[in-house]
Amino acid sequence: MYQPPIGGRDLLPLDVAQKRWIEDRLQQVFDGWGYHRIITSTLERLDTLMAGGAIQRSTVLQLHNLDDEVLGLRPELTASIARTAVTRMAGATFPQRLYYNANVFRRAQEGSHSRQQEFYQAGVELLGGGGLLADAEILLLTIECLNNLGLRSWSLLLGEAGLTRSLLSVFPSGLQEKVRMAIAHLDRLTLESLPLSEDLRDRALLLMDLRGKPADVIQKVSTLDLNATQQETVDNLKSLIDLLQDSLSLRSDQSFALPIVLDLSIIRTFDYYTGIVFEVISGPDSGQKVLGQGGRYDQLLGQFHPQGQSIPGIGFSLQIEHLHQVLLQMGQLPTQAPPSDWLVVAASPQAYAIAFAHAQKLRADPGQVELDLSGGDREAIQAYARSRRIAQIAWVGVDGIPTIETLGEE
Amino acid sequence: MLTVAIAKGGLLKDSIRLLQSIGLDFSAFLESGNRQLQIIDPNHRARALLVRNSDVPVYVEYGQAQLGIVGYDVLRETSANVSQLVDLRFGHCRMSVAVKANSGYRSPIELPLHGRVASKFVHCAREYFQNLDLPVEIVPLYGSVELGPITGMSEAIVDLVATGNTLRENGLIEIDVLFQSTARLIAHPLSYRLNTYGLHSYVEEIREKVKPLVESR
Repeated sequence: MYQPPIGGRDLLPLDVAQKRWIEDRLQQVFDGWGYHRIITSTLERLDTLMAGGAIQRSTVLQLHNLDDEVLGLRPELTASIARTAVTRMAGATFPQRLYYNANVFRRAQEGSHSRQQEFYQAGVELLGGGGLLADAEILLLTIECLNNLGLRSWSLLLGEAGLTRSLLSVFPSGLQEKVRMAIAHLDRLTLESLPLSEDLRDRALLLMDLRGKPADVIQKVSTLDLNATQQETVDNLKSLIDLLQDSLSLRSDQSFALPIVLDLSIIRTFDYYTGIVFEVISGPDSGQKVLGQGGRYDQLLGQFHPQGQSIPGIGFSLQIEHLHQVLLQMGQLPTQAPPSDWLVVAASPQAYAIAFAHAQKLRADPGQVELDLSGGDREAIQAYARSRRIAQIAWVGVDGIPTIETLGEE
Repeated sequence: MLTVAIAKGGLLKDSIRLLQSIGLDFSAFLESGNRQLQIIDPNHRARALLVRNSDVPVYVEYGQAQLGIVGYDVLRETSANVSQLVDLRFGHCRMSVAVKANSGYRSPIELPLHGRVASKFVHCAREYFQNLDLPVEIVPLYGSVELGPITGMSEAIVDLVATGNTLRENGLIEIDVLFQSTARLIAHPLSYRLNTYGLHSYVEEIREKVKPLVESR
């Protein structure tokens, strides 16, 4: 027996119908906000994929071409879009609003329980837009995507990679990486055991738990002796949160408490983010899955630009599989592949051409119309139509006048 | 509802006593003849799952339990993606290398190249010998590891030692300690970030309960 590769997965018609339900709603939002779809190559050169510093070689599924150049199946889209934006789209005016809906690949890691290797992501990149307004647009767009999917219970973890990185700079350089790893993994015990002075240990523990209601966190971080740049970042964060809250309140009559947790400890072990970073997490009833993530990367495009010119960028990606699982559990997704509207049956071989012609006429309505291939008896054809939930049968004879039969619910 | 994964076996009594001290009563797990795998505390504040030692970090990593109590040895062995929050200071033991007392090996680097080491903790053992730059073959076993050197299958073992009685009774001696282990309070990282079901207050209460023990030493 031939089997799919480990980590591979086939999507059957119902899976596809459900996936499209999600993707259609996301694309509606992306279109509505003036984003244009981009399709980049599934295969990239490995150095392109790794240029940003967020991708490790071991996570990429690799291939070799005839010139023995190492290629990889993309594990994410941002590097590809950054590459194409600064090379192929050179001369285009900024900002560029781009979206994608594509498959990505991750090599199963040792120690990881999941063997899945192919995933689907939909997301956006807003290139050439810096500052508060672009940050707010991306966050509001994320929220709009969740709303349009009918997701009710979610939280947004919002951090500031630049600020967190700069707050870590007070630690002695020999220990900085250890502190960073321990904070990234929320490993309080390691933080407590590092050879730090009492002051620095308290600072490390404070950074690890620097999260909560935005106003509280902003107050807490302001008690640290911030330099001018850090203070400015904190002020910008405050403006961003106020702007989000105000924009959402203007849209609805009732006041809407934004489920944002400001988390200034978010620091990944590898990433290219320079400004805000965020994750959307489903509610505890649906297993607190990471539904999507994003952030600002103002240095990434410079890596790809022939003259090294840096162009600000911000984006996010949503994990279609995770959205699928959560929405399925909520009963939001279609439970059956859409049935055909009509079954057209030719009474005899002489009526075949007429049956095709009649089916074509019905399709113009528009409708989904299929032809009976069995040539079987009446009961068998009716049973088939019922089993496929086809509502109407058009019996076509040589006279060309169809007899319509409407099948009732069983 | 807040869910805590607790380990069967040696840590169970102390884990339940600790949770009782912050008002979560799961003592029904200790009743003889208990067959329940999950219990809700009488005040309906939290639920406990009774699972195998090595499954505690799994339930916590996947977020089915927001908190868990498990030995550091298990965390080292499984390198699960969980947040380590409090050293609970019970369940003291150590991960050790042991050999037959009459073997003449007195330090791990004296072990023969490509010798065999039997262990239930294959990751810990492999990492340890890699750091020593000593190539050995790790033989995975699931119990009674002491039989490895006794039968001559392996030169050494890497195993958890609490009192050392089992080693002595089987004619083995410790020649090195990989690390000390105690029970740890762990959390699902996203639940910790989002303070799901108000878990922070439980973590702080546990931290307070454990603290006086340290200071009295």
